[in-house]
Order: sequence, then C-alpha cells, then structure tokens
Amino acid sequence: MRLTRRTRLAGIALVAVGSLTLAACGGDGGEDSSDNVITSFSTEPQNPLVPSNTNEVGGGNIIDLVFAGLVSYTPEGDTEMEVAESIESDDNRTWTITLKDGWTFSDGSPVTAQSFVDAWNYGADPDNAQLGAYFYKPFEGTDDDGNSTGGDTISGLEVTDELSFTATLKEPEAEFPKRLGYSAYYPLPESAFEDMEAFGESPIGNGPYTLESWDHDVEAALVPNGDYDGNRAPQNEGVTFKFYTDPDAAYTDVQSGNLDVLDRVPPSALSSYEEDDQVQPVTEPGSVFMSFTIPSSLAHFGEDEEGKLRRQALSLAIDREQIAEKIFNGANTAATDFSSPLMPGYTEDIPGSEVLEFDVEQAKDLWAQADAIAPFEGTFELSYNSDGPGNKEWVEAAVNQIRTNLEIEAEPKAFATFGEFRELVTNRSIGTAFRTSWQPDYPSVYNYLAPLYGTGAGSNDGDYSNAEFDDLLGQAAAAESEDERAQFLAQAQEILFQDLPAIPLWNQNISAVGAQGVNNLEFNWQNVPVYHNITK
Amino acid sequence: MWWYVGKRLLQAIPVVLGATLLIYAMVFLQPGDPITALFGEKPVSEAARANLEAQYNLDKPFIVQWLLFLGGALTGDLGVSYSGQPVADLIGRTFPVTVKLAVMALIIEAVLGIIAGFWAGLRRGKIFDSTMLVVSLLVIAVPIFVLGFMLQLVFGVKLHWAPATVGGDASIGKLILPAVVLGLVSFAYVLRLTRTSVIENLSADHVRTARAKGLPEGAVNRKHVLRNSLIPVVTFLGADLGTLMAGAIVTEGIFNVPGIGNLAYQAVQRGESPTVVSVVTVMVLVYVLMSLLVDLLYAALDPRIRYA
Repeated sequence: MRLTRRTRLAGIALVAVGSLTLAACGGDGGEDSSDNVITSFSTEPQNPLVPSNTNEVGGGNIIDLVFAGLVSYTPEGDTEMEVAESIESDDNRTWTITLKDGWTFSDGSPVTAQSFVDAWNYGADPDNAQLGAYFYKPFEGTDDDGNSTGGDTISGLEVTDELSFTATLKEPEAEFPKRLGYSAYYPLPESAFEDMEAFGESPIGNGPYTLESWDHDVEAALVPNGDYDGNRAPQNEGVTFKFYTDPDAAYTDVQSGNLDVLDRVPPSALSSYEEDDQVQPVTEPGSVFMSFTIPSSLAHFGEDEEGKLRRQALSLAIDREQIAEKIFNGANTAATDFSSPLMPGYTEDIPGSEVLEFDVEQAKDLWAQADAIAPFEGTFELSYNSDGPGNKEWVEAAVNQIRTNLEIEAEPKAFATFGEFRELVTNRSIGTAFRTSWQPDYPSVYNYLAPLYGTGAGSNDGDYSNAEFDDLLGQAAAAESEDERAQFLAQAQEILFQDLPAIPLWNQNISAVGAQGVNNLEFNWQNVPVYHNITK
Repeated sequence: MWWYVGKRLLQAIPVVLGATLLIYAMVFLQPGDPITALFGEKPVSEAARANLEAQYNLDKPFIVQWLLFLGGALTGDLGVSYSGQPVADLIGRTFPVTVKLAVMALIIEAVLGIIAGFWAGLRRGKIFDSTMLVVSLLVIAVPIFVLGFMLQLVFGVKLHWAPATVGGDASIGKLILPAVVLGLVSFAYVLRLTRTSVIENLSADHVRTARAKGLPEGAVNRKHVLRNSLIPVVTFLGADLGTLMAGAIVTEGIFNVPGIGNLAYQAVQRGESPTVVSVVTVMVLVYVLMSLLVDLLYAALDPRIRYA
C-alpha cells in the first residue's frame, strides 16, 4: 500500500486521536458543593458492604452510617439503646433482647428479631466465610473462631416473637450489651439473603443514612435516611466519602478546600498541620494501643523469673516519650496501661505501671539479674511489616534504645508485607518479638485485655497464659457494677505489668484536619469522626 | 500491509501468554498470605480460610491458577477482586481515565517538545537553544514525584489555577495538571531528540540540494528537515504511551486520579492475582499495539519504507 501526502495523513491521525480524547472527556462537571454535604477522606472498601464481612475502615465508615444496631455509642463511649428497647439477663448468660416497635429498613420492611438473628446466623456460617465471624464467638453453638457448629444457625439464638429474641452465651458476660453496637451485630433485611452479592454492592440498612451511590474507587455518597429516628440524627444533608490511595493528596485537598474532613494527617504533614492556617487542626488522645509482643516460647523470655526480668528490663530501657516526640511528632502519647485513657473504666496509676517509665539504671540492673540466672547470648530482634506507614521509624528507634541502654545486640527485622508478617505470627513461626496494635471493638477496657492476653484467646499471638489473670477476667466479665469491673480489670492489669506478655508503648493520638468553615468536628472513642454531627 | 499487521498481531499471542505467566508467578511468589492479611489482626478460622481459598483458586498450584485465569479471560471473565467486583468492570472503569491522562500527556509533550526542539535545532548554540538544554536537563534530573508535589502546591493549593486533585470527575480541566507532570519528563526527551535530529538533517545532502535549487528557507525546514527528523521522535512517542500509562502510578497517587495505576498498586498490596495480571495484560496489549502503530507510521513519514 502506497500512501500519498504522507505527512498530512500522519497529521490527520494525530488530530483524530486528539479529538477522540476531547470527545470522550465531556464537559467539566464542576464542584458539586451542596451547602451542607460533608466530604470526608476514606479508602475504597476492601470487601462487599455486608456488616459481618467488613473489618477495615473504608467499609466500616459506610456500614456504621447505613446501619443501626441494638445499641449505639456516644462519642465518649457510653452505650445507649438504639433499636433495642431492653437487653436484660438474670445470670449474665441468657439475655432477653426486646426491640422497639416501628423501626424499618430503608426498603420499607420492618426490623424484627428475625432480622438480627438471621444476620448473625449468616455471619457465623463457615460456608459464608465472613471476616467478622470472630464476633459470634460468645454465643452458645459456635466454635472458638465464631463459626456456627452443627448447621447454618447459631443454636444459642432463639426468636421468641416478632420483636424479641434470646441469646445464650457460653460464659456469663455482664458487658454483653456493650458489644452489640459493633457492625457485626447489625441486622439485615430479608431481601439481603436472596442475593448477598447484590446487597454488598448496594446495602439496605436502618441507620441514619442511606447509601445513595457507590462510584468505585472514586466516592460513596450517603444521604440522610428520613425514616431514621434513633440516637444519631444527621445534622448535615449528607456525607460523601471520597476515596484516596494517598493521604497526602487528601491533605492537599483539605488545604485547598476540596475536602472537609481528613481523619488522619499523613506523616509528611504531622509536624506542620497544627500551625497550618489553611486547615482546622484537631489533636486528641486516641484509643489505638500499640505494643510489641514477646512470644512466651521465645528462649530467655519465657514465663519464668528470667523472662519476667528481661521483659521488664526491655520496657524500662525504652524512652517512650522521646520517641513519641521525635519520631511521631507528637502523634502518639506514651502508654500508661494496656488500654487507653479514653475508655470508660480506665484506671490511672495501676500498681506496677512504673515499669513503663524510662529508667536505664534499673533496666541494666534487671537485665544483669536475668543474666545471673542464665546468660543471654545472641540478638534481640523486633519484627514489623514495613508496608505500614511509620512502623520502620519507631521500631528502629526503639531497637536502638534497647541496644544502647541494655548494651546488648538488638536488631529490627522487617517484613515487606502485612500478609507475610501476619502469616508468620499466626502460625507461630516468627521466632522474634513483633509489633502489635489493637483497636477496641467496643468501648471497654475488658476488650483490650481478654482477646489479647486471655489463655487461648483469638488474638493472643504470644500464647500468654496466666490462670490468675484468666480468673480476674472471668470475675470482671461477671461483675455487677462498672466500678467493681474496673477494679477487677485493674487487678488483672497489675498481673500484666509483672508478666509483660506485651510491652505497652503508645496510644495513637487522633491527628486530623477539617477544612475552614467546618463545624462540630469531633471524634468518638473509636477515633472516627462523629459524622452525623458535622456541619458546614 | 494487512498481512504484515496480521503477522504482528499473531506475534502478540506468545508475548501476552508469557507476560501473564511471569506476572502470575511473581504474585504467587510474593511472600505472605493474602487471606491472613484480609482478616487483619483477628483470628482466621480454618473453615473460612478453606472457603475463601477455594473461591479465589488459591488452594490450587499456580500453573492451574494461571490456566484457570486464562480460560476465564478467553471467555471475558477476568475473575473477581476481594471486594467482590468483577475485575473486567474495574479495568473498564479505570482504563479510560488512564488512557485520557496518558494521551493528554502525550499531546502536551509531543506538541511542546517538537516545536521547542525544532526551534532549538534551527538556532543551535543561541540563547533559546541553551535555555532549553538547561531546562530539559533539570526536568530529567528531578524525580517525578517532586515535580508533582511542587506543581500541585504552587498551582493547586497556592494559586488555585488548577484543581489540586482529580477525584471522581476526571474531566480535561482537572487532568491538565497531572498530564503536565506526567508529560514533563518525556517532553525533555522529545525536545532533545528532535533537536539532535534536526541538527543532523540540516547538514544532510537532500537539504543542501533543496536549498541549492532555490526553495524558500521555510519550505526547506518544514518539508525536508522537520519531516525527516520526526522518525526517531515518533518511535519514542509510540513506545512512550505505554510507559506513560504504566508510569502513571506515581502521578495518579499524587493527584488522586482513579486510574489503572492506582488499581494496580492496591491490587499488588492485597496480593490479588487476577487484578494484577489483568492490568498487566492490558498494558502489554497497549505496548504491542503502539509499537505496531509506530512501525506503520514510519511508512507515512519515510517513503523508502514499505511493508509487505
């Protein structure tokens, strides 16, 4: 084929490509700035939007606004009845749950006892492989992973009539009602079970908002649910979650007024955001607890005299405040116990908590005492996943302090991905100390202790076991009053301070920014903005 | 020519097969278990793990996983991401955005690069030429994310000339800033390539002949110098479209563009083989098609080249 006027043809081709692009682009939509619709940073949900299958913040943000549970939490962490009229028990083991009349899902169907029981049964059924199955573990008729045993229903749940059902637990738990505000305990409408895949794409809930649209990887728009009459009445005309892969881009958007709320300031802006006059900074203590866990099976660090001495020496050798200040730029606060000062029932100055102070002399002394029992050779290693932002920096700093202050060999050990790191932790082959962090599922000190340090508990990655501690947990679970429970939990923590199954390090602060003109930007005990109260 | 095109397209088959196999192997060899990561710091039950592994074919040897993927891909089914989205939909949403971004960047770099390079080449050693050489050196030397953050801060945050990020509305107006950032580095290469090529052609025999027979200077430069100088530039631009699309990851992150780079980045992090491999396959196809297009464009630019 012979082409004449070749140059022109080439030119035409270029122009054609250009105009095709232009045609594809359409007009500039402009900013959709309805007056009182709040835009907030979030990430694309990693799982379908089914409450029992949502365990990360991107999906959780949406689920928590679209659904309402039996109870809801105030920003301070107090529990209030929401869909439930009452949750009562004589023995803290068999609970009778009565619902308020008149709640509906946004498709018009009523919220009944069956809506809850069916949803929980679905979540616990191992055939559905739900990521939140763990939360059904307290119920009779489930195994240690929360999967229902013997069929696809939880035998401990029984619907008594349209608006009431009973839940039987494996063990008495006075704080059971507190759990029930967590997303895994939300109800599902009947229509969900016909096609869960479609439901996960456009969930129908009973919460303060409804999901109007979910434009994948771009944004999810939520509008107030007119039928909602619960504790969290929306004060704005909607919440739109914009999805980012890079919080730096979100910070830039807040600065330039394109985004109203960014709930975590990126590391690059941490040292400057409080002085940045283009944003409203919010800095508050937070509830995430960071620590490193030393497996009980690690040589020289077992649950004996030598191990305890070494653990205490490590704890005393770390200057938490210095790292919080220098490495985290004040985004973290040195831990004062195994939970967070935000929690209801938090106890100050628990005996034994002096071990969290920085004291090189005593650290050396304790380490020498341990060496007298059996000399330590080799290297103390601390493992972490380097794909988590900021992990590398603090682990290196902490290890440096341990090395310098105890005059031992100490090295950080990096794993490239969270998946690899957790795999080794889960199958117990990690063979070093490793970083751990915990975000509470419901507002209670108990939730920081039982799942992490109870014998055989699901997230007890260090295999810590202490009968006395387990006993105190049991007593706390069955305690009659909040004060009594706080006392038992403080006693339980006293034991932890001696044994140090994990070395408490920091509580992560809330470091957030709002755009100029945004009002009522508050954070709840989960470190999540109280979205329904924000206005602008 | 059609025979030639057909032959080239047939050659693409083993390339795509090999690329998917390679990527599959790499994702498979990536350390760590995606199912464990999915559960975060919560325990994973064996039953749930088995179910999920079966659902995503993770329980099978990787050759089988690859074959299952290929079989699905042939019938248009690229699998499902961990969030329950068909991968084909994900790509269908993100690919056009990245194409738009890359083509805009390509147009910017081609137009500016060729004009500036041509001018600099004609006035070799003059002030414009020297300035362009320094500018292009700077642009090549500074990493793209530095350029990105700088332009974003200056034009997006401080001056408000352009939106700081793109977000959902990937219109031309919003994509201009990221397209400039994406195109800048290649602009420098296009400029230098055109300039060198123009200088070389200026002393070529046919140009001297054209001048000798009395053609006006403008016509000589346009018809004889520029056209002949474009061959290496077109080769570069063709291959560059693929590079721009693959290299958009950084730019897409900085400007929050919901494109294929962001998609690939997230999928790699989660160990989602179907998504990663599908994205890579699409990119391989883009490279294959672009290099074919470039070869065909040669014939348009240089009458001595024929394909049969």
